[in-house]
Amino acid sequence: MNGFLEYVPGDSFLHKMNPVAKLAVALLMVFACFITPSFMVLGLILVIDFFMAYSCGMIKQTLGLSKAVAGFSVILALIALLSTPEGLLLVALPWGYIGSESVLAAIRIVLRLVAAAVPLFLVFYVTKLNDLANSLVKVCHVPYKYAFVFTSTVHFIPVFMNDMAGIMEAQTARGVEFDGGFLKKLRLMVPLCVPLLVSSVRKTNSAAIAAEVRGFNLRTRTSGYKEYPFVASDYLYMLFALLLLAASIVSSALGVLF
Amino acid sequence: MIEVKNLSFTYKEGSAPTVRDVSLSIPDGQFVGITGAAGSGKSTLTYAFNGIIPHCYPGDFYGSVLIDGKDTVETSLTDISRMVGSVCQDIDSQIVSSVVEDEMLYGLENFGVPATEIEPRMDEALDAMGISDLKYCNIASLSGGQKQKVAVAAILALRPRVLVLDEPTAELDPASSHAVFALLRDYASKRGITVIVIEQKIALMSEFADRLIIVKKGGILLDGTPAEVLENAELLQAEGINCPRATSLGNELAKRNLYAGPACRNVADALRACEIALGFEAAGANDAQAKLGAPSPAEGGQA
Repeated sequence: MNGFLEYVPGDSFLHKMNPVAKLAVALLMVFACFITPSFMVLGLILVIDFFMAYSCGMIKQTLGLSKAVAGFSVILALIALLSTPEGLLLVALPWGYIGSESVLAAIRIVLRLVAAAVPLFLVFYVTKLNDLANSLVKVCHVPYKYAFVFTSTVHFIPVFMNDMAGIMEAQTARGVEFDGGFLKKLRLMVPLCVPLLVSSVRKTNSAAIAAEVRGFNLRTRTSGYKEYPFVASDYLYMLFALLLLAASIVSSALGVLF
Repeated sequence: MIEVKNLSFTYKEGSAPTVRDVSLSIPDGQFVGITGAAGSGKSTLTYAFNGIIPHCYPGDFYGSVLIDGKDTVETSLTDISRMVGSVCQDIDSQIVSSVVEDEMLYGLENFGVPATEIEPRMDEALDAMGISDLKYCNIASLSGGQKQKVAVAAILALRPRVLVLDEPTAELDPASSHAVFALLRDYASKRGITVIVIEQKIALMSEFADRLIIVKKGGILLDGTPAEVLENAELLQAEGINCPRATSLGNELAKRNLYAGPACRNVADALRACEIALGFEAAGANDAQAKLGAPSPAEGGQA
């Protein structure tokens, strides 16, 4: 069972892509999502997202992620709905109104966030963190310290989640009942953040020491054992993502809303 | 060669020294086991060997620790790491990668091991720990014991001259613990690597280590060969350290004047002690029966 943002082994074309190319394609798609106002372009990006997820056997995870992002973006969509009185009046509010444009803007927010999140998350699921960090260091000359901070942060997410689960289990064994509503659970969890924070700080400190005694300070851009060469298909995928970005810019410039 | 002279260390936030006036000398290729009650300063003592104190934990450091003549205070932690490989107690915080292969590569890449040597070293260390099949596994999916083996393998691959391991078999089953100690014994005796292990499993350390050090309140309570240290069973019991059963048996026989050899470290020693004790008893029975004018048990007589 793989956890949040954990690499899932496979041999799909996405797995085989150069890590830098994967990140570049994902970022280009994210930019395209945020630039375009067009539902058609957003829909096209969503189709591509799910095709990519299908191709690497991660439809289930992607659907789960989409639901989570959509749930979060609904809050933003509601704010947009209630605070941008534009278009034809649909519902009058004491401070303004909900217009037809407000509804479209709210829907656009949800679609945009889901379409932008999927490629980024897929990058993590189909790329080993170390490959991603090492290729950024080797190919893009990112300082290793930054790459290490990034990989360590992602690496520790499941560790801290396990710690939190352990603390909650210990509390449950002492009679604390976490069953119930969200607010009750949240109220019970807040005090547990203190021991989690303490153990997190301790773990982070130990990790820094462990890295240092294994030669962290000696690492240079050329230290990485693996090479990450670009092949023709990597350029092709990046070109495709660039075309998508171009379509997004054109749709924005022409004011295409649908 | 490690030379510790009058070492005392008090953590910045501590009021009393965690390590007090410790002096010892560890020659190359020696397998040293360190044990003691919880909070006795064992881990802090190992931090002195691998330079973590004073480089990472601030505090009052008195005395000196020399590794191959280099003072750990004056040498950078990175330079100490070239000589000393360490496995810490908290394995989860030691692991920096998400895949076993990457974890193995981390140190090898950092220390600039030539590319042609990396694969053989990695495979040899994984093979030595019996985890070659885990090479491409996700570390999050491994058990605590498997993670521990990965952490030890990652250090073995670096081929340091000194290995400092803090409870390296805490999460391992008895068979795996035995195998790890046997492997460390080999590294010490065949490759001349100095091995320093902190463990609570005194039976294993007695069997494999050349030297046992018992730590009490930051100082050294006992220091000697396992047989010498185990002779002080009552002192060890008083410190909350359980002697191996073989040692208890041998010491009990010695108390009854049936055995007078060195302290038993393992089953083989205990068997030998029992044979000697049976010899004593048989000789005693013979003497008694001779006095009564009856045939001795050795001659087929019935007692």
